[in-house]
Amino acid sequence: MLRFYLEVARTAFRRQLVYRWANLAGLATNIFFGVIISYVYIALFQANDQARGEVNGFTLHDTLRYIWLVQALIMVVLPFGWFDLMLTIRTGEVVSDLSKPSDFFWYWFSRESGRNVYYLLFRSIPTYLAGMLLFGIGAPTSWDRWLVFGASLFFAAALGVAYRFLYNIIAFWVVEARAAGGFVQLIALFFGGSYVPVVFFPAWLRAINAFLPFSPMFNVPAQVFTSTLTGGPLALALSSQVIWAVILILFARAVTARALTRVVIQGG
Amino acid sequence: MRALLRDLRLYRRLVAMQARSQLQYKANIAIDIGTYFAISTLEFTQIFLLFASFTTLAGWSAGEVALLYGVTSVAFGLAEMFGAGIDGFDEMIRRGDFDRVLLRPVSPFLQVAGSDFRLRRFGRFSQGVLAAVIGLFLLGGLPWRPLDAFVLPLGILSGMFVFLAVMVLGATLCFWTVETTELTNILTYGGREMLSWPLSVYSQSLQRFFLFVVPLAFGTYAPVCYLLGKPLPLGLPEALAFAAPLVALLFASVAATIWGFGVRRYQSTGN
Repeated sequence: MLRFYLEVARTAFRRQLVYRWANLAGLATNIFFGVIISYVYIALFQANDQARGEVNGFTLHDTLRYIWLVQALIMVVLPFGWFDLMLTIRTGEVVSDLSKPSDFFWYWFSRESGRNVYYLLFRSIPTYLAGMLLFGIGAPTSWDRWLVFGASLFFAAALGVAYRFLYNIIAFWVVEARAAGGFVQLIALFFGGSYVPVVFFPAWLRAINAFLPFSPMFNVPAQVFTSTLTGGPLALALSSQVIWAVILILFARAVTARALTRVVIQGG
Repeated sequence: MRALLRDLRLYRRLVAMQARSQLQYKANIAIDIGTYFAISTLEFTQIFLLFASFTTLAGWSAGEVALLYGVTSVAFGLAEMFGAGIDGFDEMIRRGDFDRVLLRPVSPFLQVAGSDFRLRRFGRFSQGVLAAVIGLFLLGGLPWRPLDAFVLPLGILSGMFVFLAVMVLGATLCFWTVETTELTNILTYGGREMLSWPLSVYSQSLQRFFLFVVPLAFGTYAPVCYLLGKPLPLGLPEALAFAAPLVALLFASVAATIWGFGVRRYQSTGN
Protein backbone atom coordinates (compact mmCIF):
# COMPACT_ATOMS: atom_id res chain seq x y z
CA MET A 1 0.00 0.00 0.00
CA LEU A 2 2.86 2.32 0.75
CA ARG A 3 4.03 1.88 -2.80
CA PHE A 4 0.61 3.08 -3.97
CA TYR A 5 0.79 6.24 -1.88
CA LEU A 6 4.29 6.96 -3.13
CA GLU A 7 3.08 6.64 -6.70
CA VAL A 8 0.18 8.97 -6.00
CA ALA A 9 2.62 11.50 -4.61
CA ARG A 10 4.94 11.14 -7.56
CA THR A 11 2.08 11.57 -10.03
CA ALA A 12 0.89 14.68 -8.25
CA PHE A 13 4.43 16.04 -8.40
CA ARG A 14 4.71 15.34 -12.08
CA ARG A 15 1.33 16.86 -12.82
CA GLN A 16 2.47 20.13 -11.31
CA LEU A 17 5.54 20.19 -13.52
CA VAL A 18 3.35 21.05 -16.47
CA TYR A 19 2.15 24.34 -15.04
CA ARG A 20 5.41 26.14 -15.55
CA TRP A 21 4.05 29.56 -16.46
CA ALA A 22 1.45 29.57 -13.73
CA ASN A 23 4.19 28.79 -11.26
CA LEU A 24 6.41 31.56 -12.59
CA ALA A 25 3.58 34.05 -12.35
CA GLY A 26 2.82 32.88 -8.82
CA LEU A 27 6.49 33.16 -7.97
CA ALA A 28 6.51 36.74 -9.21
CA THR A 29 3.51 37.43 -6.98
CA ASN A 30 5.22 35.92 -3.93
CA ILE A 31 8.36 37.95 -4.58
CA PHE A 32 6.38 41.14 -5.10
CA PHE A 33 4.59 40.74 -1.80
CA GLY A 34 7.86 39.87 -0.10
CA VAL A 35 9.31 43.11 -1.43
CA ILE A 36 6.39 45.21 -0.20
CA ILE A 37 6.44 43.71 3.28
CA SER A 38 10.22 44.05 3.49
CA TYR A 39 10.12 47.76 2.77
CA VAL A 40 7.40 48.28 5.34
CA TYR A 41 9.45 46.60 8.05
CA ILE A 42 12.63 48.40 7.06
CA ALA A 43 10.77 51.66 7.52
CA LEU A 44 9.25 50.49 10.81
CA PHE A 45 12.62 49.52 12.22
CA GLN A 46 14.21 52.75 11.16
CA ALA A 47 12.28 54.71 13.69
CA ASN A 48 13.24 52.27 16.41
CA ASP A 49 16.81 51.94 15.29
CA GLN A 50 18.33 54.23 17.82
CA ALA A 51 17.18 52.42 20.91
CA ARG A 52 17.95 48.72 20.71
CA GLY A 53 17.93 47.63 17.11
CA GLU A 54 15.54 44.94 18.11
CA VAL A 55 11.86 44.75 18.91
CA ASN A 56 10.45 41.92 21.02
CA GLY A 57 13.71 40.09 20.50
CA PHE A 58 13.72 40.41 16.73
CA THR A 59 16.23 42.48 14.79
CA LEU A 60 15.43 43.84 11.35
CA HIS A 61 17.55 41.07 9.89
CA ASP A 62 15.57 38.41 11.76
CA THR A 63 12.32 40.00 10.63
CA LEU A 64 13.31 40.09 6.98
CA ARG A 65 14.42 36.47 7.07
CA TYR A 66 11.16 35.56 8.80
CA ILE A 67 8.84 37.23 6.31
CA TRP A 68 10.68 35.90 3.28
CA LEU A 69 10.61 32.41 4.71
CA VAL A 70 6.89 32.63 5.42
CA GLN A 71 6.26 33.93 1.89
CA ALA A 72 8.30 31.00 0.60
CA LEU A 73 6.37 28.49 2.67
CA ILE A 74 2.81 29.64 2.03
CA MET A 75 2.45 27.62 -1.13
CA VAL A 76 3.72 24.51 0.63
CA VAL A 77 1.90 24.70 3.93
CA LEU A 78 -1.38 26.43 3.08
CA PRO A 79 -1.78 27.56 -0.54
CA PHE A 80 -4.43 30.21 -0.68
CA GLY A 81 -7.54 29.23 -2.59
CA TRP A 82 -6.98 25.49 -2.56
CA PHE A 83 -10.35 23.89 -3.07
CA ASP A 84 -9.44 20.80 -5.10
CA LEU A 85 -11.08 18.39 -2.72
CA MET A 86 -14.19 20.54 -2.38
CA LEU A 87 -14.46 20.61 -6.14
CA THR A 88 -14.39 16.83 -6.42
CA ILE A 89 -17.13 16.62 -3.83
CA ARG A 90 -19.26 19.14 -5.67
CA THR A 91 -18.87 17.44 -9.03
CA GLY A 92 -19.28 13.97 -7.60
CA GLU A 93 -15.80 12.87 -8.66
CA VAL A 94 -15.15 12.07 -5.04
CA VAL A 95 -16.99 8.82 -5.61
CA SER A 96 -14.18 7.46 -7.74
CA ASP A 97 -11.65 8.49 -5.11
CA LEU A 98 -13.71 6.80 -2.42
CA SER A 99 -13.95 3.64 -4.51
CA LYS A 100 -10.17 3.30 -4.60
CA PRO A 101 -8.75 0.49 -2.49
CA SER A 102 -6.88 3.01 -0.39
CA ASP A 103 -7.65 5.13 2.61
CA PHE A 104 -9.35 8.33 1.50
CA PHE A 105 -7.44 10.60 3.81
CA TRP A 106 -4.02 9.11 3.11
CA TYR A 107 -4.76 9.21 -0.59
CA TRP A 108 -5.26 12.94 -0.45
CA PHE A 109 -2.37 13.30 1.97
CA SER A 110 0.02 11.63 -0.47
CA ARG A 111 -1.35 13.62 -3.33
CA GLU A 112 -0.86 16.87 -1.53
CA SER A 113 2.55 15.82 -0.30
CA GLY A 114 3.66 15.26 -3.88
CA ARG A 115 2.40 18.69 -4.75
CA ASN A 116 4.12 20.13 -1.69
CA VAL A 117 7.47 18.75 -2.80
CA TYR A 118 7.00 20.42 -6.16
CA TYR A 119 6.26 23.76 -4.56
CA LEU A 120 9.09 23.36 -2.13
CA LEU A 121 11.55 22.96 -4.97
CA PHE A 122 10.07 25.36 -7.50
CA ARG A 123 8.46 28.04 -5.37
CA SER A 124 9.88 28.12 -1.87
CA ILE A 125 13.53 27.96 -2.84
CA PRO A 126 13.34 30.55 -5.65
CA THR A 127 11.26 32.87 -3.48
CA TYR A 128 13.76 32.79 -0.66
CA LEU A 129 16.66 33.12 -3.09
CA ALA A 130 15.03 36.25 -4.47
CA GLY A 131 14.80 37.61 -0.96
CA MET A 132 18.46 36.83 -0.44
CA LEU A 133 19.40 38.63 -3.63
CA LEU A 134 17.19 41.65 -3.11
CA PHE A 135 17.68 42.24 0.60
CA GLY A 136 20.79 40.30 1.49
CA ILE A 137 19.14 38.26 4.22
CA GLY A 138 21.31 35.16 4.12
CA ALA A 139 20.43 31.73 5.43
CA PRO A 140 21.36 29.53 8.42
CA THR A 141 24.86 28.16 8.22
CA SER A 142 24.87 25.27 10.65
CA TRP A 143 23.84 21.77 9.61
CA ASP A 144 21.93 20.99 12.76
CA ARG A 145 19.84 24.13 12.32
CA TRP A 146 18.85 22.93 8.85
CA LEU A 147 18.05 19.48 10.22
CA VAL A 148 15.74 20.87 12.87
CA PHE A 149 14.19 23.14 10.27
CA GLY A 150 13.58 20.18 7.99
CA ALA A 151 11.73 18.34 10.72
CA SER A 152 9.76 21.45 11.61
CA LEU A 153 8.83 22.01 7.99
CA PHE A 154 7.72 18.42 7.60
CA PHE A 155 5.27 18.69 10.48
CA ALA A 156 4.12 22.12 9.42
CA ALA A 157 3.34 20.79 5.96
CA ALA A 158 1.52 17.76 7.38
CA LEU A 159 -0.51 20.08 9.57
CA GLY A 160 -1.26 22.24 6.57
CA VAL A 161 -2.53 19.28 4.56
CA ALA A 162 -4.80 18.18 7.39
CA TYR A 163 -6.16 21.71 7.75
CA ARG A 164 -6.80 22.02 4.02
CA PHE A 165 -8.54 18.69 4.07
CA LEU A 166 -10.76 19.79 6.94
CA TYR A 167 -12.10 23.00 5.48
CA ASN A 168 -12.67 21.26 2.16
CA ILE A 169 -14.76 18.38 3.42
CA ILE A 170 -17.26 20.85 4.77
CA ALA A 171 -18.53 20.43 1.23
CA PHE A 172 -20.02 17.12 2.28
CA TRP A 173 -22.51 19.15 4.29
CA VAL A 174 -22.58 22.63 2.74
CA VAL A 175 -22.20 22.46 -1.03
CA GLU A 176 -20.93 26.01 -1.62
CA ALA A 177 -18.54 26.78 1.18
CA ARG A 178 -15.78 28.64 -0.61
CA ALA A 179 -16.41 31.91 1.16
CA ALA A 180 -16.20 30.25 4.56
CA GLY A 181 -13.20 28.27 3.37
CA GLY A 182 -11.44 31.43 2.29
CA PHE A 183 -12.08 33.01 5.64
CA VAL A 184 -10.81 29.96 7.50
CA GLN A 185 -7.65 30.02 5.40
CA LEU A 186 -7.12 33.67 6.17
CA ILE A 187 -7.43 33.03 9.89
CA ALA A 188 -4.72 30.42 9.64
CA LEU A 189 -2.46 32.71 7.66
CA PHE A 190 -3.11 35.58 10.04
CA PHE A 191 -2.51 33.73 13.30
CA GLY A 192 0.36 31.84 11.76
CA GLY A 193 2.26 35.05 11.35
CA SER A 194 2.15 35.55 7.60
CA TYR A 195 0.72 39.05 7.92
CA VAL A 196 2.54 40.16 11.02
CA PRO A 197 5.17 37.96 12.66
CA VAL A 198 3.73 36.38 15.79
CA VAL A 199 6.51 37.87 17.86
CA PHE A 200 5.01 41.33 17.24
CA PHE A 201 1.58 40.32 18.47
CA PRO A 202 0.47 42.07 21.65
CA ALA A 203 0.65 39.84 24.70
CA TRP A 204 -3.05 39.04 24.87
CA LEU A 205 -3.12 37.94 21.23
CA ARG A 206 -0.07 35.76 21.71
CA ALA A 207 -1.84 34.13 24.64
CA ILE A 208 -4.83 33.29 22.43
CA ASN A 209 -2.52 32.12 19.68
CA ALA A 210 -0.88 29.61 21.98
CA PHE A 211 -4.07 27.57 21.92
CA LEU A 212 -4.45 27.63 18.14
CA PRO A 213 -2.86 25.29 15.63
CA PHE A 214 -1.69 28.07 13.35
CA SER A 215 1.60 29.08 14.89
CA PRO A 216 2.94 25.55 14.25
CA MET A 217 2.11 26.03 10.59
CA PHE A 218 4.16 29.08 9.79
CA ASN A 219 5.55 30.73 12.85
CA VAL A 220 7.42 27.77 14.30
CA PRO A 221 9.33 26.82 11.14
CA ALA A 222 10.06 30.48 10.53
CA GLN A 223 11.39 30.98 14.03
CA VAL A 224 13.45 27.79 13.78
CA PHE A 225 14.89 29.09 10.52
CA THR A 226 15.78 32.48 11.93
CA SER A 227 17.38 30.89 14.98
CA THR A 228 15.13 32.87 17.28
CA LEU A 229 13.95 29.69 18.98
CA THR A 230 16.46 27.68 20.94
CA GLY A 231 16.66 25.22 23.78
CA GLY A 232 13.54 24.72 25.87
CA PRO A 233 11.09 26.86 23.88
CA LEU A 234 12.32 25.19 20.71
CA ALA A 235 11.58 21.71 22.01
CA LEU A 236 8.19 22.91 23.18
CA ALA A 237 7.38 24.45 19.80
CA LEU A 238 8.42 21.35 17.90
CA SER A 239 6.34 19.09 20.09
CA SER A 240 3.37 21.42 19.65
CA GLN A 241 3.74 20.91 15.92
CA VAL A 242 3.71 17.15 16.28
CA ILE A 243 0.79 17.21 18.69
CA TRP A 244 -1.34 19.52 16.57
CA ALA A 245 -0.53 17.53 13.44
CA VAL A 246 -1.71 14.35 15.13
CA ILE A 247 -4.83 16.05 16.49
CA LEU A 248 -5.85 17.54 13.16
CA ILE A 249 -5.16 14.34 11.25
CA LEU A 250 -7.23 12.31 13.67
CA PHE A 251 -9.98 14.92 13.54
CA ALA A 252 -9.94 14.94 9.75
CA ARG A 253 -10.24 11.18 9.66
CA ALA A 254 -13.09 11.26 12.15
CA VAL A 255 -14.99 13.90 10.20
CA THR A 256 -14.49 11.98 6.97
CA ALA A 257 -15.80 8.80 8.52
CA ARG A 258 -18.84 10.69 9.76
CA ALA A 259 -19.40 12.26 6.35
CA LEU A 260 -19.19 8.96 4.57
CA THR A 261 -21.97 7.42 6.62
CA ARG A 262 -24.50 9.85 5.26
CA VAL A 263 -23.26 11.17 1.95
CA VAL A 264 -25.61 11.60 -0.98
CA ILE A 265 -23.99 11.72 -4.39
CA GLN A 266 -25.40 14.23 -6.80
CA GLY A 267 -25.30 13.61 -10.49
CA GLY A 268 -24.79 10.46 -12.47
CA MET B 1 -21.33 60.69 -28.78
CA ARG B 2 -24.95 59.56 -28.93
CA ALA B 3 -23.76 56.00 -29.40
CA LEU B 4 -21.57 56.30 -26.31
CA LEU B 5 -24.44 57.58 -24.18
CA ARG B 6 -26.69 54.84 -25.46
CA ASP B 7 -24.04 52.22 -24.68
CA LEU B 8 -23.57 53.66 -21.21
CA ARG B 9 -27.30 53.42 -20.60
CA LEU B 10 -27.13 49.80 -21.67
CA TYR B 11 -24.20 49.23 -19.34
CA ARG B 12 -26.14 50.69 -16.48
CA ARG B 13 -29.06 48.38 -17.27
CA LEU B 14 -26.76 45.35 -17.37
CA VAL B 15 -25.30 46.24 -13.98
CA ALA B 16 -28.71 46.90 -12.44
CA MET B 17 -30.00 43.61 -13.81
CA GLN B 18 -27.17 41.63 -12.29
CA ALA B 19 -27.41 43.44 -8.99
CA ARG B 20 -31.14 42.66 -8.85
CA SER B 21 -30.61 39.02 -9.70
CA GLN B 22 -27.88 38.65 -7.08
CA LEU B 23 -30.10 40.31 -4.53
CA GLN B 24 -32.68 37.59 -5.08
CA TYR B 25 -30.60 35.31 -2.91
CA LYS B 26 -30.59 37.65 0.05
CA ALA B 27 -29.04 35.32 2.60
CA ASN B 28 -26.38 34.24 0.16
CA ILE B 29 -25.35 37.75 -0.79
CA ALA B 30 -25.39 38.84 2.83
CA ILE B 31 -23.04 36.02 3.75
CA ASP B 32 -20.80 36.74 0.77
CA ILE B 33 -20.54 40.45 1.48
CA GLY B 34 -20.12 39.74 5.18
CA THR B 35 -17.34 37.23 4.58
CA TYR B 36 -15.50 39.50 2.19
CA PHE B 37 -15.89 42.34 4.64
CA ALA B 38 -14.54 40.16 7.44
CA ILE B 39 -11.58 39.08 5.34
CA SER B 40 -10.72 42.66 4.42
CA THR B 41 -11.14 43.76 8.02
CA LEU B 42 -8.81 41.05 9.28
CA GLU B 43 -6.17 42.26 6.86
CA PHE B 44 -6.84 45.80 8.05
CA THR B 45 -6.07 44.91 11.65
CA GLN B 46 -2.46 44.33 10.57
CA ILE B 47 -1.96 48.06 10.92
CA PHE B 48 -2.88 48.09 14.58
CA LEU B 49 -0.83 45.01 15.31
CA LEU B 50 2.17 46.73 13.83
CA PHE B 51 1.66 49.90 15.77
CA ALA B 52 1.44 47.86 18.96
CA SER B 53 5.13 47.10 18.65
CA PHE B 54 6.35 50.03 16.57
CA THR B 55 5.77 53.72 17.02
CA THR B 56 5.79 55.14 13.54
CA LEU B 57 5.94 54.10 9.92
CA ALA B 58 8.10 56.56 7.98
CA GLY B 59 6.60 59.37 10.00
CA TRP B 60 3.01 58.15 9.65
CA SER B 61 0.86 57.35 12.65
CA ALA B 62 -1.67 54.51 12.91
CA GLY B 63 -4.62 56.76 12.09
CA GLU B 64 -2.87 58.18 9.07
CA VAL B 65 -1.97 54.74 7.74
CA ALA B 66 -5.54 53.60 8.38
CA LEU B 67 -6.85 56.49 6.30
CA LEU B 68 -4.48 55.67 3.44
CA TYR B 69 -5.36 52.01 3.69
CA GLY B 70 -9.06 52.82 3.62
CA VAL B 71 -8.82 55.15 0.62
CA THR B 72 -6.91 52.55 -1.38
CA SER B 73 -9.39 49.85 -0.43
CA VAL B 74 -12.32 52.02 -1.52
CA ALA B 75 -10.77 52.71 -4.92
CA PHE B 76 -9.83 49.08 -5.37
CA GLY B 77 -13.17 47.81 -4.09
CA LEU B 78 -15.02 49.93 -6.63
CA ALA B 79 -12.78 48.66 -9.41
CA GLU B 80 -13.29 45.08 -8.26
CA MET B 81 -17.07 45.49 -8.30
CA PHE B 82 -17.29 47.03 -11.73
CA GLY B 83 -14.32 45.31 -13.31
CA ALA B 84 -15.42 41.73 -12.72
CA GLY B 85 -16.39 41.39 -16.36
CA ILE B 86 -12.98 42.57 -17.50
CA ASP B 87 -11.37 40.09 -15.13
CA GLY B 88 -13.36 37.29 -16.69
CA PHE B 89 -12.40 38.28 -20.21
CA ASP B 90 -9.94 35.42 -20.61
CA GLU B 91 -12.80 32.98 -20.07
CA MET B 92 -14.87 34.86 -22.60
CA ILE B 93 -12.19 34.53 -25.24
CA ARG B 94 -11.54 30.90 -24.45
CA ARG B 95 -15.22 30.03 -24.80
CA GLY B 96 -15.47 31.98 -28.02
CA ASP B 97 -18.15 34.25 -26.56
CA PHE B 98 -16.29 37.32 -27.69
CA ASP B 99 -17.36 36.64 -31.27
CA ARG B 100 -20.94 37.10 -30.20
CA VAL B 101 -19.99 40.33 -28.49
CA LEU B 102 -18.45 41.65 -31.68
CA LEU B 103 -21.57 40.82 -33.68
CA ARG B 104 -23.68 43.22 -31.65
CA PRO B 105 -23.96 46.91 -32.64
CA VAL B 106 -22.83 47.95 -29.18
CA SER B 107 -19.41 48.90 -27.88
CA PRO B 108 -17.57 45.63 -27.22
CA PHE B 109 -15.80 47.07 -24.22
CA LEU B 110 -18.98 48.06 -22.40
CA GLN B 111 -20.43 44.65 -23.12
CA VAL B 112 -17.41 42.96 -21.60
CA ALA B 113 -17.43 45.30 -18.63
CA GLY B 114 -21.13 44.79 -18.16
CA SER B 115 -20.94 41.02 -18.47
CA ASP B 116 -20.22 40.56 -14.80
CA PHE B 117 -20.99 42.69 -11.80
CA ARG B 118 -20.05 41.28 -8.43
CA LEU B 119 -22.22 42.78 -5.78
CA ARG B 120 -20.43 40.73 -3.14
CA ARG B 121 -17.28 42.77 -3.68
CA PHE B 122 -19.16 45.53 -1.93
CA GLY B 123 -17.59 43.97 1.13
CA ARG B 124 -14.18 45.39 0.40
CA PHE B 125 -15.61 48.77 -0.54
CA SER B 126 -17.44 49.07 2.75
CA GLN B 127 -14.39 47.88 4.65
CA GLY B 128 -12.41 50.63 2.97
CA VAL B 129 -14.94 53.22 4.02
CA LEU B 130 -14.87 51.89 7.56
CA ALA B 131 -11.08 51.94 7.59
CA ALA B 132 -10.99 55.53 6.40
CA VAL B 133 -13.55 56.53 9.00
CA ILE B 134 -11.56 54.79 11.74
CA GLY B 135 -8.45 56.56 10.52
CA LEU B 136 -10.14 59.93 10.63
CA PHE B 137 -11.50 59.16 14.06
CA LEU B 138 -8.04 58.26 15.35
CA LEU B 139 -6.66 61.45 13.92
CA GLY B 140 -9.24 63.39 15.87
CA GLY B 141 -10.64 64.87 12.71
CA LEU B 142 -8.67 67.03 10.33
CA PRO B 143 -8.55 70.79 9.84
CA TRP B 144 -10.69 70.97 6.72
CA ARG B 145 -9.61 73.40 4.03
CA PRO B 146 -12.16 74.31 1.35
CA LEU B 147 -10.57 72.21 -1.40
CA ASP B 148 -10.24 69.12 0.80
CA ALA B 149 -13.77 67.98 0.03
CA PHE B 150 -12.75 67.48 -3.58
CA VAL B 151 -9.35 65.91 -3.40
CA LEU B 152 -10.43 62.56 -1.95
CA PRO B 153 -13.42 61.79 -4.21
CA LEU B 154 -11.43 62.87 -7.25
CA GLY B 155 -8.55 60.73 -6.13
CA ILE B 156 -10.68 57.69 -5.39
CA LEU B 157 -12.46 57.84 -8.72
CA SER B 158 -9.17 58.28 -10.53
CA GLY B 159 -7.68 55.39 -8.58
CA MET B 160 -10.64 53.25 -9.56
CA PHE B 161 -10.15 54.10 -13.23
CA VAL B 162 -6.45 53.34 -13.10
CA PHE B 163 -7.15 49.94 -11.51
CA LEU B 164 -9.77 49.29 -14.18
CA ALA B 165 -7.36 50.38 -16.91
CA VAL B 166 -4.77 47.92 -15.58
CA MET B 167 -7.39 45.18 -15.75
CA VAL B 168 -8.17 46.22 -19.32
CA LEU B 169 -4.49 45.98 -20.24
CA GLY B 170 -4.42 42.51 -18.73
CA ALA B 171 -7.56 41.57 -20.64
CA THR B 172 -6.07 42.88 -23.88
CA LEU B 173 -3.10 40.57 -23.44
CA CYS B 174 -5.62 37.73 -23.64
CA PHE B 175 -5.95 38.43 -27.35
CA TRP B 176 -2.45 37.09 -27.84
CA THR B 177 -1.68 34.73 -25.00
CA VAL B 178 -4.02 32.75 -22.80
CA GLU B 179 -2.46 32.71 -19.33
CA THR B 180 -2.17 36.28 -18.16
CA THR B 181 -4.35 36.68 -15.11
CA GLU B 182 -1.47 36.30 -12.64
CA LEU B 183 0.48 39.17 -14.12
CA THR B 184 -2.44 41.56 -13.93
CA ASN B 185 -3.08 40.28 -10.41
CA ILE B 186 0.37 41.42 -9.38
CA LEU B 187 -0.44 44.94 -10.51
CA THR B 188 -3.97 45.02 -9.13
CA TYR B 189 -3.77 43.05 -5.87
CA GLY B 190 -0.09 43.81 -5.48
CA GLY B 191 -0.69 47.43 -6.32
CA ARG B 192 -3.45 47.64 -3.77
CA GLU B 193 -1.25 46.13 -1.08
CA MET B 194 1.62 48.40 -2.00
CA LEU B 195 -0.48 51.55 -2.08
CA SER B 196 -2.03 50.71 1.27
CA TRP B 197 1.25 51.73 2.91
CA PRO B 198 2.97 55.13 2.59
CA LEU B 199 4.73 55.27 -0.75
CA SER B 200 7.77 56.81 0.87
CA VAL B 201 8.89 53.50 2.37
CA TYR B 202 9.61 52.04 -1.05
CA SER B 203 12.65 52.44 -3.27
CA GLN B 204 12.85 55.35 -5.69
CA SER B 205 12.24 53.17 -8.72
CA LEU B 206 9.11 51.63 -7.21
CA GLN B 207 7.78 55.05 -6.28
CA ARG B 208 8.41 56.32 -9.77
CA PHE B 209 6.71 53.29 -11.26
CA PHE B 210 3.49 53.76 -9.31
CA LEU B 211 3.47 57.47 -10.02
CA PHE B 212 4.44 57.70 -13.66
CA VAL B 213 3.98 54.28 -15.20
CA VAL B 214 0.91 52.87 -13.45
CA PRO B 215 -0.25 56.05 -11.72
CA LEU B 216 -2.14 54.46 -8.84
CA ALA B 217 -0.32 56.66 -6.34
CA PHE B 218 -1.86 59.78 -7.83
CA GLY B 219 -5.30 58.48 -6.95
CA THR B 220 -4.62 57.31 -3.42
CA TYR B 221 -1.32 58.41 -1.92
CA ALA B 222 -1.07 61.95 -3.26
CA PRO B 223 -4.57 63.07 -2.18
CA VAL B 224 -4.08 61.59 1.29
CA CYS B 225 -0.72 63.34 1.59
CA TYR B 226 -2.45 66.57 0.68
CA LEU B 227 -5.18 66.00 3.25
CA LEU B 228 -2.71 65.23 5.99
CA GLY B 229 -0.49 68.12 5.09
CA LYS B 230 2.41 65.84 4.27
CA PRO B 231 4.83 66.48 1.40
CA LEU B 232 4.07 64.73 -1.86
CA PRO B 233 6.45 62.00 -2.96
CA LEU B 234 9.59 62.82 -4.90
CA GLY B 235 9.17 66.46 -3.98
CA LEU B 236 6.29 67.02 -6.36
CA PRO B 237 4.33 70.28 -6.01
CA GLU B 238 1.26 70.14 -3.76
CA ALA B 239 -1.14 71.08 -6.53
CA LEU B 240 -0.47 67.78 -8.24
CA ALA B 241 -2.64 66.09 -5.65
CA PHE B 242 -5.50 67.32 -7.81
CA ALA B 243 -3.90 66.02 -10.99
CA ALA B 244 -5.29 62.55 -10.38
CA PRO B 245 -8.16 62.73 -12.91
CA LEU B 246 -5.86 63.98 -15.64
CA VAL B 247 -3.28 61.31 -15.01
CA ALA B 248 -5.94 58.61 -14.82
CA LEU B 249 -7.43 59.85 -18.08
CA LEU B 250 -4.06 59.67 -19.78
CA PHE B 251 -3.39 56.17 -18.54
CA ALA B 252 -6.91 55.03 -19.36
CA SER B 253 -6.66 56.36 -22.91
CA VAL B 254 -3.43 54.45 -23.40
CA ALA B 255 -5.19 51.32 -22.18
CA ALA B 256 -8.21 52.05 -24.38
CA THR B 257 -6.03 52.52 -27.46
CA ILE B 258 -4.26 49.24 -26.89
CA TRP B 259 -7.61 47.55 -26.30
CA GLY B 260 -8.99 48.93 -29.56
CA PHE B 261 -5.89 47.73 -31.33
CA GLY B 262 -6.42 44.26 -29.91
CA VAL B 263 -10.09 44.14 -30.86
CA ARG B 264 -9.38 45.17 -34.44
CA ARG B 265 -6.68 42.55 -34.91
CA TYR B 266 -8.66 39.84 -33.14
CA GLN B 267 -8.87 36.51 -34.85
CA SER B 268 -11.32 34.22 -33.23
CA THR B 269 -10.24 30.91 -31.69
CA GLY B 270 -12.99 29.45 -33.83
CA ASN B 271 -16.00 27.61 -32.48
